[in-house]
Amino acid sequence: MGNVVKERGLVLEKTFVAVGKQLTQAGVGQKALELILIGVVFLILVPFLGAHRATDFAIFCIIVLSFDLLYGYMGRLSFGHLLYVGVGAYTVGLALRYLTTNPLLAIVLGIVAACLAGMAVGAITVRIAGAAFALANLAFNRVGWFLVMSPLKDITGGENGLSIRNLSFWYVNFRNPTFRFWFVLASLLLVFLFLRIFTSSSYGVLLRSIKEDEKRVRFLGYNTQLYKWVTFVLAATVAGFGGALTALNYGYVNPNTLDVHANAGIVFACLLGGSGRLYGALLGGIIYMLITNLLPVYFQRWEFFLGVALLLIVFRFRGGIWGGLEALYSGLAARVKSGSSKEGMSR
Amino acid sequence: MIYAIMYGLTVGAVLYLISVGFSLTFGTMRVINFAHTITYTLGAYLLIASMRSLGVPFFWGGMVGVAVAALAGYGIERFVIRRLYGESLDYTFIATYAVFLIGVDIVKWLWGVFPKPVSDPLGKTVDILGFVFPTYRLLVILLAIVVFFGLELFMRKTMVGKIIVAALDNREGVRCLGIGVEKYFSLAFVLGSALAALGGVLYAPITAVHPYMGSHILLLCFAVVLTGGLGNLRGTFLASFALGMLISITGRYWPAGSEIVAFVAMAAVLLARPIEA
Repeated sequence: MGNVVKERGLVLEKTFVAVGKQLTQAGVGQKALELILIGVVFLILVPFLGAHRATDFAIFCIIVLSFDLLYGYMGRLSFGHLLYVGVGAYTVGLALRYLTTNPLLAIVLGIVAACLAGMAVGAITVRIAGAAFALANLAFNRVGWFLVMSPLKDITGGENGLSIRNLSFWYVNFRNPTFRFWFVLASLLLVFLFLRIFTSSSYGVLLRSIKEDEKRVRFLGYNTQLYKWVTFVLAATVAGFGGALTALNYGYVNPNTLDVHANAGIVFACLLGGSGRLYGALLGGIIYMLITNLLPVYFQRWEFFLGVALLLIVFRFRGGIWGGLEALYSGLAARVKSGSSKEGMSR
Repeated sequence: MIYAIMYGLTVGAVLYLISVGFSLTFGTMRVINFAHTITYTLGAYLLIASMRSLGVPFFWGGMVGVAVAALAGYGIERFVIRRLYGESLDYTFIATYAVFLIGVDIVKWLWGVFPKPVSDPLGKTVDILGFVFPTYRLLVILLAIVVFFGLELFMRKTMVGKIIVAALDNREGVRCLGIGVEKYFSLAFVLGSALAALGGVLYAPITAVHPYMGSHILLLCFAVVLTGGLGNLRGTFLASFALGMLISITGRYWPAGSEIVAFVAMAAVLLARPIEA
């Protein structure tokens, strides 16, 4: 037992060290460059879509990133991830209505609430393996939706939703679309940076090992249940952050934020971009939002399209777009390399 | 109270019919079949379509529904699930969810999004000890019990059934005996789809028929299957009636909580006995 505790301490310690290293030493320039690039991509989107929609895209990307931590890195498919988005959003709405006038404090409360919800649900669902995990989360998502719709109708407004008061405070003015955009973009970059460091730490390696073969990791003496739970809670917390931002962006929360069927959208976005890669999640989020924003205008049967596209991804393109790009790049690199070596030979 | 018990039994019967196929496909193929919901919905819609446009009576409409849904089940097994055997569970889950999305959209396209009511096909009531029950519901309960014993007999006495039971227990072992399990899997899948469609047909007069009816009931079925034990057919039977009863009795005293209680029961069971599938 003591050994296990020691082992646990070791991974956490290593993670801290790695995080410290990442922050202080090499790779800072590269990370800064990456963040700037992501920021530039969103800034390019703004003139085409308008600030409001670009904000929407960025929030969706945060949610997909949090899902990718759970699915792409740990290999646990949850079909109830929107529960935490909903918890975050509703907590912000209720906090601004009854508790505080400060949106930033409300966001913190939303994150904490999502974290607590993730702790409670995760304690149960993490114990379940395989696809049953997905469905158990789905069931909890449904319970959350049901709670909002009917037993808590008096405070959540049921089907009509909840409009949010007190959107502006001090310099923080969520009524201003430009401010919202910058705030959300900064949040996205923060989340990305955090996940980037987190997934490349030794903890991230452990997560990927759990994805590959949980049993072996357990044989190595790691308490996988604990790590799965921690990751689940972390993903829920980030999703709650996304939910809180959603609420502030719309100034309005309704039960659709935790609609069970919308989970398919997150899964689809993650797979489309390429799961297990943060850039895949970003790309998938943006492309999915483009599809759902533009497609229904021209094409009414978008659910059909989504289904067919999902089947195609599952059968043919497991790596998603980012995976395809990576394969293309490495293929090209290999060809260039072999080409140059042939040249060398002939010479 | 007697009425609540009666309603609970009816709900339990329908839940059993749908979840048994679910449990069967999970037990044999290790596939969580989201497309199960679409065969259920399809059964109910075909019943309505054949009753309304062809004017056939309820019984034959139901037969058409079950037959076509079984065929659809075969198609789904042949073209989607068979390609994903042995893959990660997540991919089959996503693929069957995709089938569900496609199916729902086709249903919406063919029959529209609005709920369609179906009237009680018998319209008679029975008087037992001074309590008046609709005959139809009694028939539904009876049918579920018949199906249960029929399945028990099928699984125990016939060779095909024995192979399926053996595959539920240990798929590799059965394959080692030189039996091509895929054929039997496909049979189990079609059987499950047909039973789900039967559930849809029978439940149609009790609730409204709409494109998303399946996804709602699937969650309850999932609660049933997890409570009863995945791949455990008798456990499914017991759990469906127990949860049906729980739902109906809670609904009597606290209508808003009737749905939650099933999931609370599921969570309690899972906490006590986690699944290591």
